[in-house]
This record gives sequence, structure tokens and C-alpha cells, in this order.
Amino acid sequence: MDVELRGITKRFGPVIANEAVDLVAKGGEVLGLLGENGAGKSTLMNVLCGLYRPDEGEIVIDGRTVAFAGPGDAIAAGIGMVHQHFMLVPVFTVAENVVLGVEPVAALNRLDLAAARAKVREIGETYGLTVDPDARIEDLPVGVQQRVEILKVLFRSARVLIFDEPTAVLTPQEVEEFFQIVRALRDDGKAIIFITHKLMEILEIADRVSVLRAGRIVGGGDPGAMSRAELAEIMVGRPVRFEVERTAFTPGAPRLEVAGLTVLHDTGEVAVDGVSLTVHAGEVLGIAGVQGNGQTALIEAITGLRPAVTGRILFDGQDITDASPRARHAMGMAHIPEDRQRMGLVTDFTVAENMVLDSYYSDRFSNGPAMDWRAVNRWAAEAAEAFDVRTPTVFAQAGHLSGGNQQKLIVARELMRDTKLVIAAQPTRGLDVGSIEYIHARLMAARAEGDGVLIMSSELDEILSLADRIVVMFKGRIVAEFDASAAPPDKAAVGLAMAGAAP
Amino acid sequence: MSDRGAVDSLLQRAAPGRAEFEDLVIVPLFAVAVALILGALTMLATGVDMATIGRSYVALLQGSVGSLGALSETLTAAVPLVLAALGLALGFRTGLFNIGAEGQLLMGGLAAVIFGFSFPGLPFPVLMPLCLLAGALTGALYAAIAGYLRAATGAHEVISTIMLNLISYRLLDWMLSLDWVQREGRSDPVSRSVPPNAELPRLLDWLDPNLRVHAGIFLMLLAVWAVHWLLFRSKLGFEFRASGANPDAARYAGIRASLVIVLAMALAGALAGLAGANQVLGVLGRATPGFSAGIGFDAIAVALLGRSHPVGVLFAGLLFGALEAGGRQMQVDAGVSIDLIGIIQALIIVFIAAPLLVRAIFPWGFRRRDKGGAR
Amino acid sequence: MTHRITRAAICLPLALGLATEAGAFTACQITDTGGIDDNSFNQTAWQGVLDAQGQLGIDARFLESQAETDYEANITSLLGGQCDVIFTIGFLLGDATQAAALANPDQMFSIVDYAYDPAIPNVLGQVYATDEAAFLAGYLAAGMTETGILGVFGGINIPPVTIFMDGFAWGVDHYNGVHGTSVTVLGWDPDTREGLFTNNFDSLDDGRAFAQNLYDEGADIVLPVAGPVGLGSAALAAELGPDELMIIGVDADLYLTDPERGQVYLTSIMKRMDATVFQVIEQAIAGTFEGGVIVGTLENGGVDIAPFHDFEGSVPAALAEELATVRAGIIDGSIAVGGM
Repeated sequence: MDVELRGITKRFGPVIANEAVDLVAKGGEVLGLLGENGAGKSTLMNVLCGLYRPDEGEIVIDGRTVAFAGPGDAIAAGIGMVHQHFMLVPVFTVAENVVLGVEPVAALNRLDLAAARAKVREIGETYGLTVDPDARIEDLPVGVQQRVEILKVLFRSARVLIFDEPTAVLTPQEVEEFFQIVRALRDDGKAIIFITHKLMEILEIADRVSVLRAGRIVGGGDPGAMSRAELAEIMVGRPVRFEVERTAFTPGAPRLEVAGLTVLHDTGEVAVDGVSLTVHAGEVLGIAGVQGNGQTALIEAITGLRPAVTGRILFDGQDITDASPRARHAMGMAHIPEDRQRMGLVTDFTVAENMVLDSYYSDRFSNGPAMDWRAVNRWAAEAAEAFDVRTPTVFAQAGHLSGGNQQKLIVARELMRDTKLVIAAQPTRGLDVGSIEYIHARLMAARAEGDGVLIMSSELDEILSLADRIVVMFKGRIVAEFDASAAPPDKAAVGLAMAGAAP
Repeated sequence: MSDRGAVDSLLQRAAPGRAEFEDLVIVPLFAVAVALILGALTMLATGVDMATIGRSYVALLQGSVGSLGALSETLTAAVPLVLAALGLALGFRTGLFNIGAEGQLLMGGLAAVIFGFSFPGLPFPVLMPLCLLAGALTGALYAAIAGYLRAATGAHEVISTIMLNLISYRLLDWMLSLDWVQREGRSDPVSRSVPPNAELPRLLDWLDPNLRVHAGIFLMLLAVWAVHWLLFRSKLGFEFRASGANPDAARYAGIRASLVIVLAMALAGALAGLAGANQVLGVLGRATPGFSAGIGFDAIAVALLGRSHPVGVLFAGLLFGALEAGGRQMQVDAGVSIDLIGIIQALIIVFIAAPLLVRAIFPWGFRRRDKGGAR
Repeated sequence: MTHRITRAAICLPLALGLATEAGAFTACQITDTGGIDDNSFNQTAWQGVLDAQGQLGIDARFLESQAETDYEANITSLLGGQCDVIFTIGFLLGDATQAAALANPDQMFSIVDYAYDPAIPNVLGQVYATDEAAFLAGYLAAGMTETGILGVFGGINIPPVTIFMDGFAWGVDHYNGVHGTSVTVLGWDPDTREGLFTNNFDSLDDGRAFAQNLYDEGADIVLPVAGPVGLGSAALAAELGPDELMIIGVDADLYLTDPERGQVYLTSIMKRMDATVFQVIEQAIAGTFEGGVIVGTLENGGVDIAPFHDFEGSVPAALAEELATVRAGIIDGSIAVGGM
């Protein structure tokens, strides 16, 4: 089955989300739809699956023009979408979730779960989507939940499958398994549309690629004939540097010294177990590790959000083990928190308010008990301009910004002042290439100015490209240390340490 | 270092959007209209004839804004609602769901009465403000108990304020039976009267002795301004709002959650206590077991209807005051039960809380969201 | 629905016309928090207004108070010439009525259960020697109890309530004195003036709970003096059955106003507010209204006890005769109603 979008235009008020987009997905082929966050990928796909009606243009399926009044029509036409955020009922079983809404019924309108189970098994065996039909969703790992979403779509006889950022929630192993499934689906003749902003995935899985930028198709073709740099340039609209530009490594005095630090989880279990580390001025220390090995608690202890049970933390030689977050901030510690929506921002606040979230009390922004909003707004506008935070005004709600701009807002707030130590946790998670490049450059600029920089990331590539020195955390301890000041260490060796194998 | 023009353009305030206007003005107006229509249907369903329904709504209008006396009654009813609701709005903004305005109001009112009759010799310009202060402080202390329990032990304020309400009823009953509080010659629970020089003076009694509107309206307007300033212009308000909108981010920003909780509860209690003091000093002149009259609970609705914004609270309080004053006229003129006003108030809240429902009922009042500029 | 709205719009001018139409004479009543349909206190007074409406052709309006804070506001909303006479029902409206009467000297007021000293020229108080009738009820209850324990509780500790409890307790004492028995009364002590009070006139739940407590303490006859609160006690008695618990009604003959549970009412201590209210309206129309007090007594029929109705056969003839004697004694003054 072939699907064609012809001249699709979709506007929201004055905002044009898609403009004259042409796109073809063919059976037996994986179409990669590449674009930065906010490029209009999701809008386009919502048009295709009947959620939005296009203002102009038409959808053609196997040569016939169709009009969808709603998602039901799209499903009936064989178009199925696997959303980024799963739409499953956690307390239902796999089979129950798969049939939800199209339940097979036996006599007397009874739910025929046996038929559902059989069908789930049958589809599973065809495409290698092995899932126990009687397992409850909430007991399943994320990768398996995604399979259930795919099963749902296949159960409804979809022949065009749309995947919206499918790998964002998966571990590397799960990604590999997922690609196997996608290939199996393709080989069975399904048309696959694979939405992503990750270049490597396009290069690995797509048979053809279309690149969307600012609502328009700006390029495409056979990814086999294109390099990563070429693709990135089409997507971002300018040349992108993948190698982080770094000045010579000239470490100075210790900025941060952590000695024998032990920290507990809220549950009372040990999260960080006797960790010692040092970050020097002009040095980037990378903390690598699979998520959930105590990195989060370590960062919280260093920034004052979680008490240390034992051990000491020194900042420029001064003991800050029991100092408040505000005192540490005032001493020149910047903290880019791991979860920007949960901790880094007040999404209901304006950009300006978020820009002073941890400095509102200073004399610069207040007069006695009153805020000096004029000063706040002006400073916020300057910071937004300096750090390329794209927002209509500083009075816009932070929650309305794209993820990349939210993160740049936080980086601007934390770095646009005299800092000595930068603590960055997952600084680029979920961001597009342009934002990642920008934030990396800013972190390197802080290093060049003599700040100590501590970066925690679960993306090993990020650590490898930024750090002068790498420590690996496993089960709350530091299990390995690698010198990366001259050349990046062996990726395999670091990976083994992350998996808990002794170096 | 940065482009001056670009910085200036970031500082341009956008004109209030159509969506904001719809949310703040059209939805409430339609909510009131639908509530009145459904109120009429309710009357029809209970066998009231059309003429009486028409008469009752005319009476509702006349009794709330139809005359000087009606306006006076509307304002008199609105003042304590607005004061207490301002406190609740402050709490909501801080993420605290304070159900305890009723109890805080009782304690504040009682304290104002006791202070008033204990120092009858003080001159008016000293005694009246001190009585208000006594009410505010007592309300603040009473609410701070719940705040402290939340900050120190994590006890949820919904539970603790409900319990404090129950305690306040009995505490009031008991206090009113004490010899030094109870009015001489009475064996029922009624306090001594507030001396005239502690009363909030009536403003228009020189025009007509039955105009009850009193100086409390200035207190109300002052409180609206003060809460607005506090929430949106002060450092403390920034901390309150940050804590309410995202406690994790507030902690990250170095804001001390426990201090904010206790302070916000205390300020909310102070406003509720002020509402109580306003009632005893401006309207009742004494304390009796039921003198809160459910104002502390109605104020929750007022705060929600006003979207926890001081100006919104002011208008919501005036609306509820008008419904109360007009409701009396409705019963007098049309013989319709005053309970109907309760139904209408509840319906207004339902429709305010469900803006999508209002949009669905009145599609022509709103711009289609999805279609956007396509039309 | 559109039709109805249109009709409503057409009706509006009509309604306006009705609202401004002036009746010949208008009597208005403000209830206390018990409400107009409380089966006892407010309803009895309203009956007087309704009787006047039927017999004298006057207009009648009422306004219910939902909270104590409403009293003053409610009086205010009835001022302005729309009412010829305003009845305020209950002792608790005393302060508010006084204030309004002094501010509006041309407006006629009449208040139930309150007398001003000195009298206010435009307020006629209606008070009742309720203790006389309660004395009879106490005597009757003492003669009927099988457990020897009687229960009583009040709404609020105010004179018009406690006068019932006083009379009841004195009647029981009198019975004990005559018969040498030791029937006791729980819930009120006429000497210390302390007892059981719900502190409201509207919670039926309280009425049930207080009666349950008294029943648990052994009382088989309970006198609730709290307006509609007593209906909760009657509901309990109806569940337990009159063999277990009987109720003595107050204000009206509750056997008639609360017929669903009529079987639980041994009798009722009636305060004939309907009669006095009617009398006040007559005076107001005739122009003979003047401030002061009218007192309802056993002698002038202003207070009395109701017939036994369903208990007619259960009350021993000897007891009924004794009651008649006591009644005559109270009227001729040979029996003093009061503490011993």
C-alpha cells in the first residue's frame, strides 16, 4: 500500500506548521522523516492519521484521494500510529489492551479473550514480536510495552505504520531489537514512516529519507548516499560540527573535592557509597554509567538537595557539606538539573521569572521585599538573546517553549553570571542536534574560562566527546577512571565498566 | 554583546489574546447565564409557574443591584467572602488546599470581640484597628497550626484544617459559655457586645439607617491590593507561587519549603481572621455559635471562581454577595425557596470548572481552536 | 428549551407588574434557622399568618433565615414599606428586631418569645407561660413512665426554651410529691440551669443522637425542645417503637403536623402562636396595635397540652382525672408553677 501526501498545508492561527508538504510512503520501504524538534513532524503525522484536517492539500492512498473526518477513518484506511507516549491501560493485560475498542465478541456479546490471545500470538510470531498476552502492562519493561503498541496497530490491520520518536525511551539493546521488528514489518510489505531527529538511526534503518525544516520539506533521498554531516546540514540549515571544539587542557586548582561521600535514597537504601572525586578548574569530569547507579543522588548531594550521611564536600577548599543550595549557588556553583520540567523550570512561570528562579532574591532583582521586575525583564531579555533562547517575548510561559529552548533557558540562567563550578546532569537529553551543539559549546566555554565542569550523562558518546577525565559509576561506587585529556579512551572498555565488569 | 533591538523586541508585551479574554470574561459570563437558566428549569421541575420564575429573577436583580439598599446589602455580604477568599487564593497559589477558613474566621472574629469588650475605654482610632489586628493575628496563629503540622510532619493540610474547623466550633461554644465572655444575664452562648468605638463605622447610615454597608469595604479593597502586591510584586510572593507551581523547582531554587508553607498558611489565616473580625465589628456586634455562617466554605468557591487571582476574587465575591442579597428578595417577592440560590451558586461553579462544557453549549461565543486562521 | 426561554421573556413584564402590585395589608414573617416548614415553632406562627390570609384577605410573605447572621439582613430586606407588620420569630431575633424597630419607628413589629423592658412603642412582644402547659406534660410523663426516668434536651439555653424544661421538671416533682414516687428527669436541672443543649435549631441528626443517649440512660419518654431537631428524636422513637420510647412534642400538636410518626407522640406542649399572631394582625388592621406584651397562658388558651390521640386508651383514667385537677389548680392559682 502506498500513501502520498500532496501539498499539505496546516496553519494554527498565524503559525504555519506545515507548508506545501509532499511525502510518499511505499509498501516494503522504511521512510525516515527527519527534523528538529518543532519542525512540524508531529503535525504532519497527525494530519495523516486523521487528528487534524489539512487546510490545503490532499491525502492519496493507492491512487485514490481520501478525506479523514477523524482518527477512525484513518485506522479504517489502514494507517496506524505508534505514539511516543504509550496509550496503554497499565492494569490491563497485553491481550486486553490490544483489543481495547475493537473487542472480539462471542455469543451474547461476551468478550472473547481467547480469540484475542490467539490473534496476539499469531501476529507476534509473524514479526518476532514475542509478548505474553496475559502479562499485565505495568509489569512489563518499556521496550516490551512498545511492542504492545505495535501489536495494537497491527491488530487493527494497519498497512502503514507511523513511529513517532520510537527510540527515545529505549535502551541500546532494546533499540537493536526494535530495529529487527521494523525490518520484519518492512519485509512483509508494510509501509513504515519513522520519525526521528537522530541522524544515526536514519542512517541505520531508513531506505529513503525526507527532511522537514520549519514546516517544509527541505531535502531527502537515499541515506546510503549521504553522510551524517550532509543530513545534519539539511536538517539544521547550516553546517554542524560534531566534534566539540576544545581549547588545550590546562587544569588548575581543585574546584570540587568530594571525599568518602555516602548518600541515601528516600527509601533509606544506600544510593552513593563512599564516593571520592575531584574536579579541577578548567577540567571537564564526566560521570558515565547506566541510569540508576547513584549518579542522580550524587549530583543532588553536591548541589545541596540531598544530605550527605558521611563524607565531605569542598568547594574551592571551603567545606560546603551542610551548606544550603542557595549558599552554594551564591558561591558560584551552577546546576543544570537532570529533569528540566520537574526541577529546572516552573513551566507555568514566564521566561523572565524562570531566568531569575534561583537569583530573584539578589539585590540586582529586588528592592527590599519587592521584586524589581523591570530589572528582571531586561536581564532576562539579554540572557535569552545571548543564549539563543527562542521565545516571542520574555513574558511567554516557559512551558510553551520547545524542549531545546527550555534547556537553553536553564543554561542561560545558570551560566550567564560568574560561575566557578558547573554541575550539568543530562544536559542534552531529548534535544535536537542544533541545541546539543549549542549547549556543548557553552559548557566548553565555561571550561575555557577556568570553571570546573562536572557532566553526568547516560549517553556515553556525550561523555566521550566532552570529558577530560571519565569516572564510571556502578551500584553507587566509582568503579573505573579513564584519562581522556589526550585522546578519547576505548569506548568498549568504558562500556564494560558501566556494565559492572572490573577494568 | 547582544543586539539591542532583539532585546527590546523580547520585552514587548503581547496584547492580551483572544483566548485569555474568553477564559476570563466570556466563560464566567456564560457560566452565570447557564446557571440561571438551569435554575429556572429547576424551579419549573418543582412546580413553580413561569410568572413566578420571571418575578423571582427580577427580584434577584432588584435585591442585588436594584437600589441603594440592595447595593449596600450586596457589598455587606461580599466583604467577608472576598477577605476569606483572598486568603484561600493565596494558599492555592502556594499549593496549599486550605479548607480551614471557617475555623480561622471563627477564631479571628472571637478574638476581635474579646479584645473589643475588654478594652472599651480605648478611643475609636486605636481600638478598632487593634480589634482587627487581634482578629488577623488569631486567625494567623490558628492556621499556622495546620501549616506547622504540614511542614514538620507532612500531615496534609486538607485533613488538619477540617479537624481544626471542628475544634473551632466546640472551642467557640465553650468560650461563649465562660463568665467573662458570655453576655450578662444570658445563659445561652452569646458573647458580650462589641463597644461602639470598636465597630467598623457604617458609611451611609446618615442617608438611611437601614443601609448596613460599613468601612469593611475599604478593608476589602486594601486587602485585594495587598494580596496582589504580595503575590505578583514581592519576593515572598515569588516564593509562594514557585512553591505552588512546582515544589521541586522551588527547592532547587533554594526556597525553604517549610517556611513558605507556614507563612502562606498564616497569611491565609490572617485574612480569614480579618473576615471574621469584619463580621463581628461591622455586622453582628457580638459572637454567637453560628456567626461564621458558612462564609469560610463559600469562600472556597469564591477563590476558585476568581481563579485565585485577587481581582478575580473581588469580582467573584461581589457576584456571590449579590446572589445572597438578591436571593433574599427572591424569597420575599416570589416565595421561592432561598435554597435555590445555593443551587445557582453551585451550578456557576460547575460551569466555571468545566470551561469545555460551556464552550460546547455556546459554540458561537468562541473561536474554534483547531481551525485557527483557516476561516 | 428555546420555547421556554421565550416564554420567560414574555412573562417578565407581567411579573414586574405583579411584583409592584400593592396588597391591601401585608404581613411578613422572618423565621429563625429552623425554617418555615419545621413542623413546630416557625410553622405554627406562620399558620397564624395563613389563617389571617384566609379569613381577613391579607397578603403574606416570609423569609427564612439560614444562619444567625441573616437576621438583621432579612429584616432589612423587608423594610421599605412593603410590609405593614413584620413578625420576627424567636428570642434570638431580639437584638436585631430591637435595632430595626428603633431605626424605623413607623414600622410595626411583633416578636415571638421576647418582651422588651421598657416596651418599644412599635413592637408587640408575644410571650407564653409555657411552663404551665409543660407542668401538665411533666405530670403526665411521670405517670406514664415505666423506667422512672424521663429525658429532656433543648436547642439553645435561652429562656423560651428552658421554660419548657422548667415546667416539665416541676410537673414531675409535683407528681413525685403527690404519689411519693422518685421519677427523675435527665437533661435539665432547674436550679443550676444547666442541661443538654444541641446548640442549634436545625440538626435532625443531633435530635436523633441526643434522644439515643437519653434512651441509653434509661429514659422511655423524651421531650426535645428544639423545633425541628425533635423530628430526629421522633424518627428514632418510630424505629424503636412507642413501647420503648415516647416523644413529647413542642409548639404545635406534632401528632397533626408530623402525621407519619404520629404514633410516637404521647402529647405535645402547644404554644398557640397561631392564635396570638392572628390576634396581632387583627389589631394591626383595626388600628389598635400598640407596643407591649401579650401573654399566652393556660387560662386564656395561649398554651396547652395536646390530646393523647393514639395513647388515648393507654393513659389511665385516674391519671387523666388528676391532670384535669392539676390544670384547674394552675388556672385558679392553687398550684404554683415554680420550684419547690
